[in-house]
Amino acid sequence: MAKERIPDWLNSSLWSTTPSVDDRLHRFSLSPTTTTTTAAAAVSEPIVQPTVPVSPPAAASRPQYTVTSQKYEFRDPIDKNSNNNSNDNDQNASPSGVSPDDISRQAQLLAELSKKVVNFRELRRIASQGIPDGAGIRSTVWKLLLGYLPPDRLQWSSELAKKRSEYKQFKEELLMNPTEITRKLEKSAVDDHSKSESSGLLSRSQVTHGEHPLSLGESSIWNQFFQDTEIIEQIDRDVKRTHPDMQFFSGDLPLAKSNQDALKDILIVFAKLNPGIRYVQGMNEILAPLFYVFRNDPDEEMAAAAEADSFFCFVELLSGFRDHFCKQLDNSTVGIRSTISRLSQFLKEHDEELWRHLEITTKVNPQFYAFRWITLLLTQEFNFADSLHIWDTLLSDPEGPLETLLRVCCAMLILVRRRLLAGDFTSNLKLLQNYPSSNISHLLYVANKLRSQASN
Amino acid sequence: MVLVLAIGDLHIPHRAPDLPPKFKSMLVPGKIQHIICTGNLCIEEVHDYFKTLCPDLHITRGEYDEDSRYPENKTLTIGQFKLGICHGHQVIPWGDLDSLAMVQRQLDVDILVTGHTHQFKAYKHEGGVVINPGSATGAYSSFTYDVNPSFVLMDIDGLRVVVYVYELIDGEVKVDKIDFKKTATASAH
Repeated sequence: MAKERIPDWLNSSLWSTTPSVDDRLHRFSLSPTTTTTTAAAAVSEPIVQPTVPVSPPAAASRPQYTVTSQKYEFRDPIDKNSNNNSNDNDQNASPSGVSPDDISRQAQLLAELSKKVVNFRELRRIASQGIPDGAGIRSTVWKLLLGYLPPDRLQWSSELAKKRSEYKQFKEELLMNPTEITRKLEKSAVDDHSKSESSGLLSRSQVTHGEHPLSLGESSIWNQFFQDTEIIEQIDRDVKRTHPDMQFFSGDLPLAKSNQDALKDILIVFAKLNPGIRYVQGMNEILAPLFYVFRNDPDEEMAAAAEADSFFCFVELLSGFRDHFCKQLDNSTVGIRSTISRLSQFLKEHDEELWRHLEITTKVNPQFYAFRWITLLLTQEFNFADSLHIWDTLLSDPEGPLETLLRVCCAMLILVRRRLLAGDFTSNLKLLQNYPSSNISHLLYVANKLRSQASN
Repeated sequence: MVLVLAIGDLHIPHRAPDLPPKFKSMLVPGKIQHIICTGNLCIEEVHDYFKTLCPDLHITRGEYDEDSRYPENKTLTIGQFKLGICHGHQVIPWGDLDSLAMVQRQLDVDILVTGHTHQFKAYKHEGGVVINPGSATGAYSSFTYDVNPSFVLMDIDGLRVVVYVYELIDGEVKVDKIDFKKTATASAH
C-alpha cells in the first residue's frame, strides 16, 4: 500500500477532530460497501470458518469516499459520494482513518484472518495502521498479537477450550473462602456422619493441619485469606472507579455490574497467582480495554468467554510491563524510572531544543507526566476510542509495545512543542497532565516517523 | 462465612489481670464479625478492648459486672441461626444442662451461649445446642480453682457451624473443633 508524501500543512494539528466513541456509529460510518463487508463477515465468521476474502467484489462496485476531503469529520457516508477513485490501494493522501483506507484495511485483515495459518508479519503490518472497529476484527487481532490464539487457525478451538477451562479452574481454586476449603479437605479425610446424636456432649475433633481462623501461621489458609481481603477491597474500589463515564463499566445496569464482577475476578485471580506483584493500582486500567474489546465481540461465543480470554491476554500484555508496577524495582535498570529516563533521552535525540526547554529551563521532571503515560499505556490520556487505536499500534508493532510506547510519548511531546516552548513550568505541566485531544492517526504517524529517523 | 467470637468470665481485674498473652496475640481486629460475651468482664476497659476487636458486641450481665446496663439475656440472628446469650448465674442449679435447655426453649434459639461455670462445654439436646466458652482468663470459679483459659470461635456458614475451641493447656494453645449442622426443621420445640 503506497502512501504518497503528505504536505506539511496537512499534518498540522489544526485538522484534528476527535472521532466519536460509539462503536455503532463507527460501523456505519464507513461507506456502504463496508456495511456489506461487515455483514458478509458477520455471516461467515472469520474467526471460525475460512471465508472467501471479500475484497474483489468490494472493489468493484462502490462509491468511494471522496479523495479530496482531507478532514476527518464524522461521516455521513451514504450521502457523501464522489468520483470513484479506483481500487483498494489508497491513492489518496490522508494518513489514515478515512474510509478507503479503512475498507481496504478491513478487507485485508479479514483476508489475513481467514487464512489457514496467519502470517504474523503481514498481520502486524496491516494492524499497525489501525484496526477498524467493526465485525469483531479487533478482538481477534488482539488475541493473535498477544499470542493467545495460535497462528494456525485449525488449532483455535482446541486452544480456546483449553485456556478457558484453565481459567475456570483457577477461579474455583482461588476464589474459595477458607470455610469451603476446610470442608473440602475434611471430606476427603472423614466421611460426613450426619447421624445426629440426639443428646449428649458434642464430640470434639482434631483440627486438621492446625488450621483455625485465628491462626497466625504464614501458610495458614485463614491467615492468607485475611491478608487477601485487603487486596480484594483495594481491587473492588479500583474497579468501581474504572471509566465512570462509560455505561459498560459503571452505572446501575446489571450489565455494568456483571462487567465489574468479571474485572474483579480477573484481577483477584491474577493477584493470587502472582504473589510477587499482587495487585497494584492501575492494573484495572490496563485490563479495561482488553475486556471491553473482547466482550463486545459480535460473535456470541467469544463474547461469553471474554473473561477468560481477557485474563490470559492481560497476563501476556502485563508481562512486558510488570517491572513498572514493582516498587522495589523503581530505581533499577528495568524499573519505571529507567524507562522514563529513556523517554527523556529519546526526546533529546529527536528534539534537543524541546528537551532542553522542558527539563532544564522549565524543570519539568518527566516523572510528573510520563509516569502515568507509561504505566497505564496511555489509557488515561485520551478518550476510550482513541486509546483503542493507540493500542492497535502498540500491540502490533514488531519492535514491541514498550519501544512503540516510548515513540508515541515522544511524538506526543513533539506535537505540542510550540505550546511547550512558549510555556513555563506551570503551564507546561498543566498541558502535559491534561494532554489535549488530538488526531490520533496523525500522532501515530509522527511516532512512526520517529522510528525511521532513529534508524537512519 | 461469618466468624463469631464467644467469650466471657474474664473477671478482670478482680480475679485475673488480663487475657493470656497467647490469646491476646491471636485476637486481632478485622477477622471477627461478631462478639458474644457471656458476662463478668468486669470493667469497662475490657468492654472497650472488645470493641476494638469488633464493633458488633453483645454482652449479657454477669453477677460481678460493674456496668449494670447489660441485659440479663439477649438474642440475635446470624445467618440462618438464632443465638441466645445468658450469663448462667440465674439458672439454678448452676451449669445444669436440663435447666439450661429450658432457658433455651424459652428464648427460642438454636444456639445458647452461656457461662458462669468457667468450664468449656458443648452440649446438644433436642432443642438445640448449648455452648459454654469457659473463662478466657482462667479465673477461678465459684466451685473450683482448676480452670484452663478458653474461648470459642464459631464459623457460621449457611446451615453449618464449625465451633473452634481454643484452650490454654500447660502454656500451649490447643485448638479443637466441633462440627454441627442445623436441620431445617430443628428450631426449638
